[in-house]
Amino acid sequence: MKVKQYLSLAALAFISCFARAEIHIDAIAPNFSLTNEQGQTVSLSDYQGKYVVLEWTNHQCPYVEKHYNSGNMQSLQKKYTDDGVVWLSIISSAPGKQGHVSSNQAIELTQSRNAAPTHVLFDPSGNVGKLYGAKTTPHMYIIDKQGKLRYAGGIDSIKSANPADIKKAVNYVEQGLSALMSGQTISNKLTPPYGCSVKYKS
Amino acid sequence: MHPIIKYLISIMLWLTSIYAELLYAEQSSATGPHIQVQLVSEYTQLNPTQTNWIGILLKPEPHWHTYWRNPGDSGEAPSMQWQLPSGLSVGEIIWPIPQQINVAHLVNYGYEGQNLLMLPLTFTSSAQYQLGQQIEIKVDLSWLVCQEDCVPGWATLTKTFEISNQQQPSAFKPLFAQTRQRHPQAQKLSGRYEITDKHIVVSANPPTSEKWQLLPLKSSIIQHNKPQQIVASTPTQTSFTVLRSDYFIDDKQPIEFLLSDGESAYYLTAQYNTGLTTAAVGTESPHLALILLMALAGGIILNLMPCVLPVLSIKALSLQQQNLPTLTKFAYLLGVLISFNLFALAIVIFRQGGESLGWGFQMQSPWFVALMAFLFLAIALMLLDQIKISNGLTNLGQSWVSSHGFASQFATGVLAVLVASPCTAPFMAASIGVAMVSPPLQTMLIFTSLALGFALPLTVIFCLPKVAKLLPKPGAWMESFRQFLAFPMLATVIWLVWIYLNQTNSSAQLILLSALLLFALFCWLAQHSKGGLKVLCGLAIIACIVAPFYFSKTQVAIEQKTQHTQSYLKYDANKLAELKANNQVVLVNMTADWCITCKVNEQVAFNSSQVQTALADDSVHYMVGDWTNKNSQILSFLQQYQRAGVPLYVVYAGNHSEQVLPQLLTPAMLIEAINLAKKELNHES
Repeated sequence: MKVKQYLSLAALAFISCFARAEIHIDAIAPNFSLTNEQGQTVSLSDYQGKYVVLEWTNHQCPYVEKHYNSGNMQSLQKKYTDDGVVWLSIISSAPGKQGHVSSNQAIELTQSRNAAPTHVLFDPSGNVGKLYGAKTTPHMYIIDKQGKLRYAGGIDSIKSANPADIKKAVNYVEQGLSALMSGQTISNKLTPPYGCSVKYKS
Repeated sequence: MHPIIKYLISIMLWLTSIYAELLYAEQSSATGPHIQVQLVSEYTQLNPTQTNWIGILLKPEPHWHTYWRNPGDSGEAPSMQWQLPSGLSVGEIIWPIPQQINVAHLVNYGYEGQNLLMLPLTFTSSAQYQLGQQIEIKVDLSWLVCQEDCVPGWATLTKTFEISNQQQPSAFKPLFAQTRQRHPQAQKLSGRYEITDKHIVVSANPPTSEKWQLLPLKSSIIQHNKPQQIVASTPTQTSFTVLRSDYFIDDKQPIEFLLSDGESAYYLTAQYNTGLTTAAVGTESPHLALILLMALAGGIILNLMPCVLPVLSIKALSLQQQNLPTLTKFAYLLGVLISFNLFALAIVIFRQGGESLGWGFQMQSPWFVALMAFLFLAIALMLLDQIKISNGLTNLGQSWVSSHGFASQFATGVLAVLVASPCTAPFMAASIGVAMVSPPLQTMLIFTSLALGFALPLTVIFCLPKVAKLLPKPGAWMESFRQFLAFPMLATVIWLVWIYLNQTNSSAQLILLSALLLFALFCWLAQHSKGGLKVLCGLAIIACIVAPFYFSKTQVAIEQKTQHTQSYLKYDANKLAELKANNQVVLVNMTADWCITCKVNEQVAFNSSQVQTALADDSVHYMVGDWTNKNSQILSFLQQYQRAGVPLYVVYAGNHSEQVLPQLLTPAMLIEAINLAKKELNHES
């Protein structure tokens, strides 16, 4: 066929074999069940009717350290859990990789850092991370009382590991939650996340 | 290793980096965990009269990497804050072509091993430095160095330079030369992009390479870890399709990419492809201005026509000695304007009425183009005196125009239009032709222009009687001039026949050309014959006009039978409804010439042999709607699916079900959809 003569079709062949992680903002957030630091199973569906924040974390990542060493993350956790928001810190680091911790280490880290998440959840298989398309630590998500995903992206507007930038940046989690709580729509629903890569198994 | 120890080590590393910063505060190089950084220059001195190249050299440990301007799924590009003496300015970083670095299923862009980020340093014109003077350049640098785990670092680097006309190469000069080989090409490419339900489709014209990869300059454009498909649409046009990022925001702003095959790379700025709207807006305004200017010129030429000029000359000469009241001077113009506009209004009403009846007055339909070819040939024949039109009206009007009141002047205007009609008809016909395919407002504007041109010479004479002397005297030259005008008309016929070829095929064009020749022959014969023969000639003329339509219809039917695999039906709502009612499988493809995604689909999916075979099935009907030019029928189809544009692909299983396909197709998707539709119909029956 003549058209085919000048048709050179080059499809690159590195097809990834991973389940497609797609975020649908303003759609129902996919449910998941993970084990917490007490060994209990926690499901997203347990928190229907509450605001839920998902925080992907890895305590050894410099970008996570930026927000914990400065006390920024802890103060967000305290402020919002006091208001009845459910804060889930999720660790998708695979065994043997950076940030992977045992239950005891997780409890110890929460105490030593004076953190206040509702639960620390373990996702060593990375399945929930991939379900939500979590790319970096930190990577933040806000789910509203109806179970709809309302925010996904970076913790704030300045992509750096420098704690001095925290004050200068717009905190998107704070912006998002206060907009939702006052019945407004979020102005920045999706922002590109920044940080270390989530240390997935594959 | 115990995690607490690991934690302590990381804190120590942190401290080391701070220590490194302190230790090398006054140094041009610094060492952080897993990396050495250095402020370097191509020459040891700075030359105030030219661009001086400086750079930040990043030397991570083996297998550790730093990042490109868009780090990809994670990571961070190095950043620099320069502190320069006044009168110096530093340009943008020239980023070498990055590598793709895979981390589990995520993708980063960066540089494994040593990398030099070059920057141009220039002196502004106000800079006042003396040769031999020492100046200090300082940069606050921050970076992220990663293997799989990442360590950030900060350092302030300082370097002192002498200002000199004579420059000594530094030890790093060869590295600058090597790095230049790894820079993207200076040539910038431009392209267009479209957003589909899941993909971004970019089209550009890069040199041929099968390894091109699009790297966006921002991290939130594409899914970095997904394969990119390259489709060469034409020898010069290449299209890329890639899944877009979850964080993509469709704000229709230009998107910048680096197009890289690993060896060479080009920066590419892709504009949002608005297709229809910009194409229409972009070409319409100058086009309209040109049409209006031509209409004005046409109006002036009308005054020179053999049946107009004598009348107007008499009028002009008789007025030479008189001084008319101002209002009366313009009464003629008013008369002309009103009659032309009434005429235009009539056309607009006729056309609107026609459209609601379903007539398509469009240059897209071959029959209209063919009809216009006959019209222009007839005009040429008329101008060459091969078709005669009675002069009776002209004589009648002549007596009317000899008095000078307002009413008379006004009437002269109206009559000049009517009375001169035998001569003006050819031009009027051409204007009507244009008006038929133009929007109403444009039609009115064209006719107003024509009227202004027509009324201009006499109005000028009324106002400035002396100008009348410049008026050419009627004479034999008018005949020659009129005959000369036949040739532009014939040129128009050539253009129309060429358009007709594009819409049909060469055999249809041959039929049209033969019909045009016979048409001319019979017109000439009719001129030279009487009685019954004349009537016969008249019938033959009509037959000539009808012939191309008859032949082109049968032609299409024949083609559809012989080349079934290639054939498709033109979109028609009634035909679609009929096929659905008859329990047929129908694939509707709404496309446009300017739509990049549509072209990609046509090549990847529709032209594949499996799809061709599937479409060749007698129970499957392939219907194509062309949205290249606006079309209300297609618009209403798109609106049924809440779409504002193309592509749109729908597969119907009779009236039982419909499947709206994704905007980016594969052969498998099409075949699956067709098979599913067939299965459903078999189930039902």
